[in-house]
Amino acid sequence: MADEIKLNDADRFNLMLALTGLLVDGEEYTVEELVEHFKVPKKEIVKAVKMISYTDLMKSNQDGSYEVDYDDLREGFVSIRYTFSKAIDEVPRLSSRQASALAAGLVYLSSLPGLVDNSEIEELQKILASDDSTEKKKTVLIETVTRDSDLVAIREAMASGFSITCDYLNLRGETTLNRELEPLRIDSQGEVVYLRAWCPVNNDVRSFRLDRMRNAKPTANPISEAALGAELVDEIYTSSETDTVVTLEVDPEAYSLIYDFKPVEEPESVNKTVKRFKIHVGDVRNLGRVIARFGGAARVISPEIARQSVRDFALNALGERSSTTPKDAE
Amino acid sequence: MASKDPDDFALGKPERLFNLTCTLLYASEGLTKKQILQTVRGYDDEYKHGGDNSTLERKFERDKESLREIGIRIETEIPKHEDENNQVSTYRIKREGFSWPKNVKLTPKQLALLNLAAEAWAGGSLSTDASRGITKLRALGVVGQSSDIIGISPKIHTFEPSFKDIDFAIAESQVIQFDYRIPKTGEIQTRTLQPWLMRQIAGAWLVLGFDEMREAPRNFMLRRIVSKVRTVTEGRELRLFSAPEQSVIDAAVLELDEHARSQEAVLKITPGSEAWFRYELDLNPSRKDDSLRLNYHDLFVLAEQLREYADQIEVIEPKELAVLVQEGFRKVADLHG
Repeated sequence: MADEIKLNDADRFNLMLALTGLLVDGEEYTVEELVEHFKVPKKEIVKAVKMISYTDLMKSNQDGSYEVDYDDLREGFVSIRYTFSKAIDEVPRLSSRQASALAAGLVYLSSLPGLVDNSEIEELQKILASDDSTEKKKTVLIETVTRDSDLVAIREAMASGFSITCDYLNLRGETTLNRELEPLRIDSQGEVVYLRAWCPVNNDVRSFRLDRMRNAKPTANPISEAALGAELVDEIYTSSETDTVVTLEVDPEAYSLIYDFKPVEEPESVNKTVKRFKIHVGDVRNLGRVIARFGGAARVISPEIARQSVRDFALNALGERSSTTPKDAE
Repeated sequence: MASKDPDDFALGKPERLFNLTCTLLYASEGLTKKQILQTVRGYDDEYKHGGDNSTLERKFERDKESLREIGIRIETEIPKHEDENNQVSTYRIKREGFSWPKNVKLTPKQLALLNLAAEAWAGGSLSTDASRGITKLRALGVVGQSSDIIGISPKIHTFEPSFKDIDFAIAESQVIQFDYRIPKTGEIQTRTLQPWLMRQIAGAWLVLGFDEMREAPRNFMLRRIVSKVRTVTEGRELRLFSAPEQSVIDAAVLELDEHARSQEAVLKITPGSEAWFRYELDLNPSRKDDSLRLNYHDLFVLAEQLREYADQIEVIEPKELAVLVQEGFRKVADLHG
């Protein structure tokens, strides 16, 4: 995992500062420990340690300021010793941009009710603000409103490793009562909170929007091995081979669709503002609501059946034609 | 090959910045630019004694900027008896401004929360700064740990391409310009803004700032920006502004909230429908009334939300909203005809 992370110059410099800050008190770490601690690839740790040891304070002093034992490093151990003076002898403080990015992340966490303790968030906000040497202004505000009763029950079940039952309204407007789900993860995406859960009926991981869920209750059934072994990908919508490939065009007002549906490939620019991309759609009959809400800022280009589905949705809403969605729609 | 380590490596930018930082921290009296360029590794090899070092000087200026972005401020001092002659100005990094405050410790749980806050930006606009911040905090030696937040994966949405540029402009107090589509008319206007803060309401990002055209604080929805965000120049310099007091910004934030509270839509919702569920009318089983009063901050955003439910929602008031919903459907039908 860590090996996929790519660092640029600024990241490397930042890592050198952090490594020095950690190592200056003389404690010895293994390279593996540092890889685990900083979540960066091994070669970056080794390189950074070497670069630190090459530091000269002034040209007149031929010794480095930090000394690294290279025999140890080859065997996977890292420790740093001063040779004469202290240049960096403490943990570096955050830049105001770093502090405000973290502060904004905390604001988002605290906007999700019931997930984290807000008094702890406030305490951290104070710490981040006090670390900043420059004048500090709030530059990001996030407001999200979610009902929390279901969240609390789900978190309880997750903590004790049990499944839940709930009532769920699917995208076609049908409610299933007492549906059993094995909760795996709470994903919040912007203002929408999803439960990623193993569905024993479908034998698969599915995403459930919390705003379509009611009466979540923990059960006495432990979460199954199958659920625990299931792979959780980051995308909320996963595609299958039977999906229809649909081409969309969007104005900036509807760019959010690019993020809601993972496009098959990078979107292409039609002109300065319009982007075109392809998505996988399980059931084109669900497209109407997704596209029509934008009132023209999102358009289906192909296939015709998807265009027709969107047109029917809009005409139906205008009361001009009854929906042609077949009665046997699942 | 008589170096301390047989592995060869080139002295790149990170090493040069690191050497510069160490040197300027160490030299508590400060160093002149000439001394820096002559002695700090990464510059010294290219220094021409008695020659033109303007390229090297520009490199130093860029490096100062890079350090500032990472959170290290280089202080410049002009000796009292000198004029503004930058040949004798001295540069140094003050230790107290460099270090994380000694008395501030983080618990494993706090670091875990900060980790989660950084992860919320993953792939988003502020992910670089957030993850670099976490890297520094890890230097405190604390390992993030909290059983409370296992199984939570929050993601902040920033799908608007302008987010990053605006965030940067706010941090740097840069005046910006962009083309903005007025939702009511579809007209595109170029607006000049002194951006103060960004705000997410119901999933939509807004930027609040001083609108130079209206000469007043205004909010702009990022998704209606239809151009790149441009900086504004004055002569050869970027035009900067000084941000107002926090109280002025707070007042402008409140103003939008009050505006939202004063705007009310009245909707009629089909009982038992999906919309009924969405607006949580099912939570009160004794409810017989099928009308819903709703406050909103943006008519066009509300119209979008309502269109999802097609004919399950009828707009009673305001008329403008009813028309907007219908017109949107008409446009969609025509575009897909």
